[in-house]
Amino acid sequence: MANLQEKLQYLKEVAGNPGKQLAQYLRQGRQVIGTFPYYTPEVLADAAGIVPMGMWGAQTEISQARKYLVAFACPIMQSCMELGLNGTYHGVKAVMIPSMCDTLRCVTQDFKLGVRDIACIPFTYPQNRKIPAAAAYLKAEFTQVKERIEEIYQVAIEEEAVQKSIAVYNEHNVQMRRFAKLANDHLDVVTPIVRHEVFKSAWFMTKAEHLEIMKEINDSLETLPAHIFAGKKVILTGITAEPEGLLQILEDQNLAVAGDDLAQEMRQYRTDIPEGDDGIGRLAGQWMNRTDPMAHDDEIKRLELLGNLLKDNDAQALIVCLMKFCDPEEYEFVAYNKYIKSLGYPVLSIDIDQQPGAYDQARTRIQTLAEML
Amino acid sequence: MNEQNMNPAAVQPDQAAVPAKPKRPKSKSQLMAGALLDKAYNDTMEAKARGEKIGWATSLFPQEIAETLGLHIVYPENHGAAIAAKKLAAPFLEYAEAHDCNNDLCSYAKIDIAYADIFDCSPASNMAKPDFLLIGNNGCNEITKWFEVIGRKLEIPTFMIDFTYNHMPYVTDSRVQYIKAQIEQVIEALSAFTGTTWDPDRFAEIMRVSTENRNLWEQVADYLELQPSPLSGFDLFNYMGPMVFTRGRRETGDVMRQLIAEIEEHIKNGTSTFPAKEEFRVFWEGIACWPYLSHNLKTLKKYGINVCATAYARAWSLDYTPGDIESLARAYAFTSSNNILLEESVRRRKEWNTKFHIDGTIYHVNRACKVMVCQQQELMRQVSEACGGLPYMSFDGDQADFRNFSEAQFETRIEAFAELMRKHKEERRNG
Amino acid sequence: MLTMGVDIGSTASKAVIMEDGKRIIARQLVAVGTGTRGPSEVYKKILEEAGVNRSGIARIVATGYGRLTFAQADRELSEVSCHGKGMRFLCPRVCTVIDIGGQDAKALLLDDRGNLENFIMNDKCAAGTGRFLEAMSRVLDVQVEDMGRLSEKSQNPVSISSTCAVFAESEVISRLSSDEKVEDILAGIHASVAKKVSGLAARVGYRPQVAMSGGVAKNKGIVRAMEQELKCGILVPEDCQMAGAIGAALFAYQDMTRHESAADERAIYRKGEKDDE
Repeated sequence: MANLQEKLQYLKEVAGNPGKQLAQYLRQGRQVIGTFPYYTPEVLADAAGIVPMGMWGAQTEISQARKYLVAFACPIMQSCMELGLNGTYHGVKAVMIPSMCDTLRCVTQDFKLGVRDIACIPFTYPQNRKIPAAAAYLKAEFTQVKERIEEIYQVAIEEEAVQKSIAVYNEHNVQMRRFAKLANDHLDVVTPIVRHEVFKSAWFMTKAEHLEIMKEINDSLETLPAHIFAGKKVILTGITAEPEGLLQILEDQNLAVAGDDLAQEMRQYRTDIPEGDDGIGRLAGQWMNRTDPMAHDDEIKRLELLGNLLKDNDAQALIVCLMKFCDPEEYEFVAYNKYIKSLGYPVLSIDIDQQPGAYDQARTRIQTLAEML
Repeated sequence: MNEQNMNPAAVQPDQAAVPAKPKRPKSKSQLMAGALLDKAYNDTMEAKARGEKIGWATSLFPQEIAETLGLHIVYPENHGAAIAAKKLAAPFLEYAEAHDCNNDLCSYAKIDIAYADIFDCSPASNMAKPDFLLIGNNGCNEITKWFEVIGRKLEIPTFMIDFTYNHMPYVTDSRVQYIKAQIEQVIEALSAFTGTTWDPDRFAEIMRVSTENRNLWEQVADYLELQPSPLSGFDLFNYMGPMVFTRGRRETGDVMRQLIAEIEEHIKNGTSTFPAKEEFRVFWEGIACWPYLSHNLKTLKKYGINVCATAYARAWSLDYTPGDIESLARAYAFTSSNNILLEESVRRRKEWNTKFHIDGTIYHVNRACKVMVCQQQELMRQVSEACGGLPYMSFDGDQADFRNFSEAQFETRIEAFAELMRKHKEERRNG
Repeated sequence: MLTMGVDIGSTASKAVIMEDGKRIIARQLVAVGTGTRGPSEVYKKILEEAGVNRSGIARIVATGYGRLTFAQADRELSEVSCHGKGMRFLCPRVCTVIDIGGQDAKALLLDDRGNLENFIMNDKCAAGTGRFLEAMSRVLDVQVEDMGRLSEKSQNPVSISSTCAVFAESEVISRLSSDEKVEDILAGIHASVAKKVSGLAARVGYRPQVAMSGGVAKNKGIVRAMEQELKCGILVPEDCQMAGAIGAALFAYQDMTRHESAADERAIYRKGEKDDE
């Protein structure tokens, strides 16, 4: 238990101090690449010994980013621009930006032209994945990313290293899924905040390091006797469930997170990189296999997925963490809200922002939900 | 969203609001354009009544495909703009917001999603219920999600061509191959679904007609080069309906030729359809603010500001080889400013600003359109810088949601902008 | 048994003391809210009015935005639950409650037993809240409490189309400068708030009876505009501003008698409701 707490504490520190992680990697002589939300071919960088670090913005005042983005743009993109412009990302040589939504399309351009000390590597995922030509296209797109990384970082990304890195990423996926499952038997230890910190820390460490810690955490959890949780359980869906102040409200109301469909958390780990001949082809294959609302041909898997998450984890309600001004998620809400309610679950939508500020209204909403349950 | 759908065509803006005001009589070409658009909507209604399968399409979906198959198609973006311009949007917006649609969604989408529930909502119900949807994401990504919502609601199939946002200065070959494969697949699936057959010769013919019409359209837009211009730039809005709906049909060429004859007449007589002395020539960036079109025009007129260029003037610059799918793929992937890298957008605007003798740019900060506004700030600076410190202004608006616009703000800013342009012109004259 | 409910809102502090969850024996309102002297003053005044001290109150439940900082409370509950409970007490057959507060607007759906079935709150913008009305009252130089009465004189309501508070302000100013009558502008403002809030009611799936709570419900202009939007009558109980506090006092009583069977509790409520009728 002591060891478990120690590991969790360590991940908490990592999750809360990405700047410290960055400085530490740079001091060790490692190179760092930034990865924008929410899927990038991290493996390519990892295979060359470059540390991929997630860029999810921060609770920060927006000032310089106003030069690029309107006030009704995605809060994550606003703060990512801000952190790029104000030098917080200094030391990161390049960022990978997938143009997954309209705002990200534009941010590929804003970042490229605004943040001059960091190279920008944009790429575009195909949305009609059932056509074989889509895979060939994505391979070309990833090859372009690979070549840019090689050029910017002066490295050679070897096929053998890519295959090795893929093995680590897949093993990490397994451990993250194992954690999500084990956590539900130990909701006293894995509170909503702890759960989030475990997931978030993965963005600021090499996957190999995170993997080792996750194995130990999971092994420790497995030896603990199961905890009978007396409160109610919820499922979270959306892009992110931050900041921690928001999750604190869940804890205050004795609500546990029993599963999630968050881009920053479980969406990352649901789909392994498939077997195949070449590394880039395998990475492309992972996108082809994902159940994800950002792909046109995902049809209505989100509905099934959310329904199953609620049922399988014995949860009582769905909390929609609706990133402010996130149009893809807003359209999706139209599609699943009615369906989930028809299954008999309450659906609560709360706005997620990155501006420092009070969460009074969110508290009222969450508390009312808890009182209703 | 993209430049092309700036068109409510046959609509008379603000007709209901200012009934007393005498209207300028419509020109013959305007009447022809209106009739052509009405006919497109009516034909679709009739086809539907006959039991034919009809479709809704995004405005930058290659119309050549449906046209070749002889399918009747209508365009919700155009329909939404018309509803907004006729000031009929309120009940649709309210309905959508009461049914799970977030306030922040595209206002065209909100109108359309509400329409797809209501349908019977005269006088706006001129768009038949679709049996299939045609999606091209070269205008924006958002429209994919919007059409998906409609598809799920009505339980009808979607046929999508993913044009892959292009961050490179040219269309990569891998994109062309992927898009070409999709087009072929859509042709096959769509003809199977609708029971129609693909005729490559007809396809080539429609591409030829479309090219002809596009050339005529560009010829019209090029008259705006003349100083003063023989036409008001806002006039072009009236002809965009045919360009979206019936670009592949010969009748559209007749409208354009009539319009050209009218313009030539103006040139001969030294007159113009711009109703004031032309003091300034501006580039209008973004979709029109449909609910306030006449207010905007009136305000601009007051200061002698003529909109002499917009991105839509070149929105159909589709250079392709008739009959060749690969060239069609390449052209549609690179036409819209929303699908390309910023440097190319700047390059095009610099060219147009010179060609049309532009004195300044008006940027519509469109609340409904993320893809247009999220790189607009940088576009403003780059274009101005590339054009020798060209003045610009921006205003807050919305293509169809009348609640997101302030007349006072627009008027104040236009007034200041006119001063800015005057000063800039003087400085230029004085070297 | 006496229980107290305290509702500390953003613009006012309200308290009631109830006896056995049936009768209101004291009610107080102080017109300033959280972070001010309001909470302590309303607390002091209500004890005085009832003629009891803290030990005479079996339980205190706090609600409203300031609920977390009210130290005297035994429990805090969200104002949504409390408004539902309180409104059911005031209007026994109510199914839909619309509350327009200073910071937010909400619509609540109650089931047959008066329990909260569903609720929805305003989105991120201020349109359709008390704050919006306040901003407009400043522009028009009209006291908030006079807005309703004045708007009733309107013959030709003007249309206020902007929902953004900043835009609406400039729209109102330009209406004023084009010599529109204040009452006509007010009627337009009310219609615009009603449109916005009735959207919430539609989203929650409102069904009659509909009642309004919160201070804004005192504004007859808003209520009438809401009735037009929802196409049904709206009840506004005398104590509409006190609904949150009443609900809190009822929850306090429920906590104290939790050992009683659910059936007993319902019986008590029915009796309570009758008494009030």
